[in-house]
Amino acid sequence: MTADDAISPSVSTTPVRTSPVTPAVHGIRSLGVAVVIALVLNRSASHTEAVIVAVVGAFLIWVWQVIEWRFCTYWFDADGDLRVDSGVLKRNQRRLQLSRLQAVDVRQPVLARIFGLAELNVEVAGTHDSRVALRFLSEHAAQDLRNQVLARAAGVRHDAGEAPEQVLVTVPTQSLLLSYALSTRTIGLLALSAGFVAILYWSEGTVGLFAALITGGLPILGLFGEVSRWFDATIADSPDGLRIRGGLLQRVSQTVPPGRVQAVAFEQSLLWVRLGWVRVQINVAGVREDKKGGTTILLPVAPWPVATALVQRIMPGLDFENFDWQPAPRRALWRHPIEGRRLAIARVDAGLATRSGFFVRRWHAIPHVRMQSVRITQGWWSRRLDVATLHVDSTPGPVHVVARSRPAATISALAFAEADAARLARASDGPARWARAVSQ
Amino acid sequence: MVDNSEPNPFAPPPNGWTRVSPRLALARRIVLLLVYLPLQAALCVGAYAIGANVKGWAWLWWTVLLCGLVLFGWLWWYLGRRARSWGYAERADDLLVTRGILMRRLVIVPYGRMQLVDVTAGPIDRMLGLARVQLHTAAAATDASIPGLTPDVAGALRDQLAALGEQRSAGL
Repeated sequence: MTADDAISPSVSTTPVRTSPVTPAVHGIRSLGVAVVIALVLNRSASHTEAVIVAVVGAFLIWVWQVIEWRFCTYWFDADGDLRVDSGVLKRNQRRLQLSRLQAVDVRQPVLARIFGLAELNVEVAGTHDSRVALRFLSEHAAQDLRNQVLARAAGVRHDAGEAPEQVLVTVPTQSLLLSYALSTRTIGLLALSAGFVAILYWSEGTVGLFAALITGGLPILGLFGEVSRWFDATIADSPDGLRIRGGLLQRVSQTVPPGRVQAVAFEQSLLWVRLGWVRVQINVAGVREDKKGGTTILLPVAPWPVATALVQRIMPGLDFENFDWQPAPRRALWRHPIEGRRLAIARVDAGLATRSGFFVRRWHAIPHVRMQSVRITQGWWSRRLDVATLHVDSTPGPVHVVARSRPAATISALAFAEADAARLARASDGPARWARAVSQ
Repeated sequence: MVDNSEPNPFAPPPNGWTRVSPRLALARRIVLLLVYLPLQAALCVGAYAIGANVKGWAWLWWTVLLCGLVLFGWLWWYLGRRARSWGYAERADDLLVTRGILMRRLVIVPYGRMQLVDVTAGPIDRMLGLARVQLHTAAAATDASIPGLTPDVAGALRDQLAALGEQRSAGL
């Protein structure tokens, strides 16, 4: 890469609209609403009246969608940042500072997929609502825009194209199914249903049946949700960061640039222990687990060595295989009778890790460089036991690095050592525009 | 069980804690009065009404009053102690904040991690000449705020923290 490449990423573009098919896709959804209204009206009014209301209603909604579509444009400004203008009555102008890019995802809901469209979500960390969703673009345009966003954020030329990728992990469907069936939650719910059925048998009541239907039905619904979310899940690595892909009906492809993974957690249900499986979750600033494509689950299920190798790759130095676990003192059992023996902490040069949980085993780890703040808390009971809890705060997400019930005598030294390690690590952290690290 | 010879995790740093204004205790107690007295009065009236209508329950209202007064006395003392427990210390690279009596806390916030610093003052705070400095990092859990500062100290602290944060800003 030449120096020139690295300095000139900011070429502005002219504003463009989203795909012209967008209003039609939104319109199809509203058509469903119109049909429901028509069916309701059908009972009181005549057939023709109901049809007219439905058609006129759908048409008006469609016209509104067209107007909204006309008012939504996006472009790159002279500083290389992404700008999005939208809104008809209330204009909304957004500027996404790409040096703060946290994640980009391309999402294809079923309906959009039929039309060959996709939605692009760009997340820059901010205090609230720092995400922008462009819906819908043609598949090609969405890919192209994603590549441009990543290239500009990385600090290379905007037309650098898609970075080559290397597939690291794929999740076979049968492990997905089996892992769900064997998860502590599923087993718990099934046991609960069995209990309700037993109560039903002995007491001949109907409440038990209802409860059993709920507790028995939840795992089945959950199983469907899990498979449809993670079907064909693939993790790939590229110079632009991790690519997390998957989905049966709705396809989601999320890219998390290097250095944007804030913390990582392994989760292992009791019955997964023999199989050696874990689920890998991550904190990414601004990204929550939701139906809109954001995901904090890096791998729904993977064998332990695969997961540890992946973490080694994204957070060098955090090797789950070689942590030197220091267990909590025995008196911690008074506070945590079940998981007390599992509680432990490990410190390595690169970061800090904690271990907890019995029915669901958990390992949480954070690199020093990503630490936001360190806290010590001690309640009344902990003080009696002469223990205290250390929290290493990360951005909001599923990972909470919390070392419960550490000996009070050493916790202060531990907290200040963590603050010092984080300060040193921050001083040698890579640049926000990750490609610049290579060119410098 | 507690061995006092062991180092205390909430021991003050070498330069000691900067304590907040003693008027913070007064502010907390005013809130207590505003919330507690009407509640106590309502409970007593209710208890008296029961006692007047149900035979043998006449003792209820003064029992409620007595328990209430004991609780009030304890809260009065506790809020005062808790208000005095706040302290902070500015170190070379981070800010320490400590607080709490039943649940004791200490937070270390590196200056480079601060995203914004707020100064707020509610009506009671303003009446007493107090203000709260609140620090925000990218972590929602950070939980670092310092109430009970005089407005000029709060303003100066905010400016200083903002300047230090700017100097050491480290992104995410």
